[in-house]
Amino acid sequence: MTDRGNEIVRVQGIVKDFRPGFGLRRKRVLHGVTFDVQENEIFGFVGPNGAGKTTTLKILMGLIRPTEGRARILGSDVLESEFRHQIGFLPENPYFYPFLTAREILDFYARLSGVSASDRARRVDRLLGIVNLGHAMDARLRTFSKGMLQRVGIAQALIHDPKVVFLDEPMSGLDPLGRMEIRDLILSLRAEGKTVFMNTHILSDVESICDRVAIIVKGRIRHQGQIEDFLPTERRETDLLISSLPPETADDLGERFELEMRGLGERLELRVAEKDVNAVLDAVMRVGAEVVSVTPRRSSLEDVFLDAVRAGDETTSTPGGSR
Amino acid sequence: MGSLLRIHALATNTFREAIRNKLLYTLLGFSFLMIASGVLLATLSYVEVEEILQDMGMSAIRFFSAGIAIFVGIGLIHNEVDRRTIFTILSKPVSRSEFLIGKWAGLTFTVWLQLALMGLAFAIVSALAGAPLRPEHSLAITLIGLELMVLVAVATLFSAFTTPMLAALFTIGLWMIGHLTRDLHALSQQSDVESVAAAGSWLFQLLPDFEVFNKTLEAVHGLPIDRGEVWLAVAYAVGYTGCTLLVGSMIFSRRDFK
Repeated sequence: MTDRGNEIVRVQGIVKDFRPGFGLRRKRVLHGVTFDVQENEIFGFVGPNGAGKTTTLKILMGLIRPTEGRARILGSDVLESEFRHQIGFLPENPYFYPFLTAREILDFYARLSGVSASDRARRVDRLLGIVNLGHAMDARLRTFSKGMLQRVGIAQALIHDPKVVFLDEPMSGLDPLGRMEIRDLILSLRAEGKTVFMNTHILSDVESICDRVAIIVKGRIRHQGQIEDFLPTERRETDLLISSLPPETADDLGERFELEMRGLGERLELRVAEKDVNAVLDAVMRVGAEVVSVTPRRSSLEDVFLDAVRAGDETTSTPGGSR
Repeated sequence: MGSLLRIHALATNTFREAIRNKLLYTLLGFSFLMIASGVLLATLSYVEVEEILQDMGMSAIRFFSAGIAIFVGIGLIHNEVDRRTIFTILSKPVSRSEFLIGKWAGLTFTVWLQLALMGLAFAIVSALAGAPLRPEHSLAITLIGLELMVLVAVATLFSAFTTPMLAALFTIGLWMIGHLTRDLHALSQQSDVESVAAAGSWLFQLLPDFEVFNKTLEAVHGLPIDRGEVWLAVAYAVGYTGCTLLVGSMIFSRRDFK
């Protein structure tokens, strides 16, 4: 069924060009994107705005045709439609027919997905309960808040019990409680044996729930690998925020220790290696400067992400020797 | 079977959406006014009063139902793309052809329903004015229904790849030309230039011939309508609609939804 035993999504050398206007000039937004998603994992697809996350997802959903390359889901070409009863999709900021109720819209999507008449009502009620919209199932969607529409979007993506779920910014528009609930829901999908592909820019969510991550910047995959590859490394540092530090002391610290210094108005931020923290703090307090904050810092997904964004057009690399 | 169920779901939803369109009720209201105003217009004449009344009514039905088909139809696909509702629909096992056919079927049913209401208004006004009602009247209105079916397909085709404004211009243009193709064809055949005659014949085959569906004259003046011509019109409507939706599906299936 799939090319490799447990490979669910395979994206191979996808290139996408758009024509901005009527002219012949083309703008390339994806440059040979390649990655795969394995069975029963939560895959985080991370990148800054305009990196090509949504374009890639739209290619996977068959909404956009790739200029070059190919993409397969569950062994089927993404331009086919029959295999889609096995996938669910939540677009970014979903919008639904405002004249329908939550129950009616889910019934509509269930019918499109080929859910039998006998199962439809039961599934609709269950899904609305899961996304905490049981109280609003007969309200018109025009009365729904952004967060409620997001929940409807998640419910429609799951209405036909798909094997693979694609979520574009699933936490968008949700309050902290809602985000926690959706995080738990995504984890429960994995526990049920489903595979989840998640587009997001909220790195804390990626760190807490994803098994593997790919970082895309300017249409190129910069890093991909297991989430562990992006988490704590040997290099530990601490940020010290100091107020009223005499300039000569700052110069002295710069000579004695290996540290990064950044002025923030009247304050100075020092990034110090963990082994030097006590010595630097002693020196600072001796001259009567005020220590505003001490924040232990670890190299994390955020660093890798920011480095990748800053690197711009540098060649693709892989952290931790993976993949 | 699954395909029919999906098309049915899309058509039902399109119908539910279309009947909430305020433009539809505005045009329907104007059509009722025009049908009723035939009574006033008929008083201006001493002869053929009933014919004038019914001619006015049938013309109003054709004009306003075509207006509904065009102006509701042109936004069919564009609205789905603009509001991004198409993203979730096409992520289900729905082919783009099924989507297009579902939209067409839903709007065709909507315009047929409003055509029935206009026909009812026509019958009431005729009965109140003492004008005769014959089976030819219902046959002529049924043929208008076939014309609308083709027109909705044309609107759907243009809506599949262009903006509502351009789709409206193209569809209105084609509707007007469609009522003149026989005259244009006849004119071209009188040309001494062979290429003009050939082009005229080619265009006649390509462009819709909406006069096939126009039996107003026969209905209003109590003339018989040839049943053979009616069946020919049915076959023409089905064939032209099928070809138009096929071309629309081919274009639509290549389209990117950014």
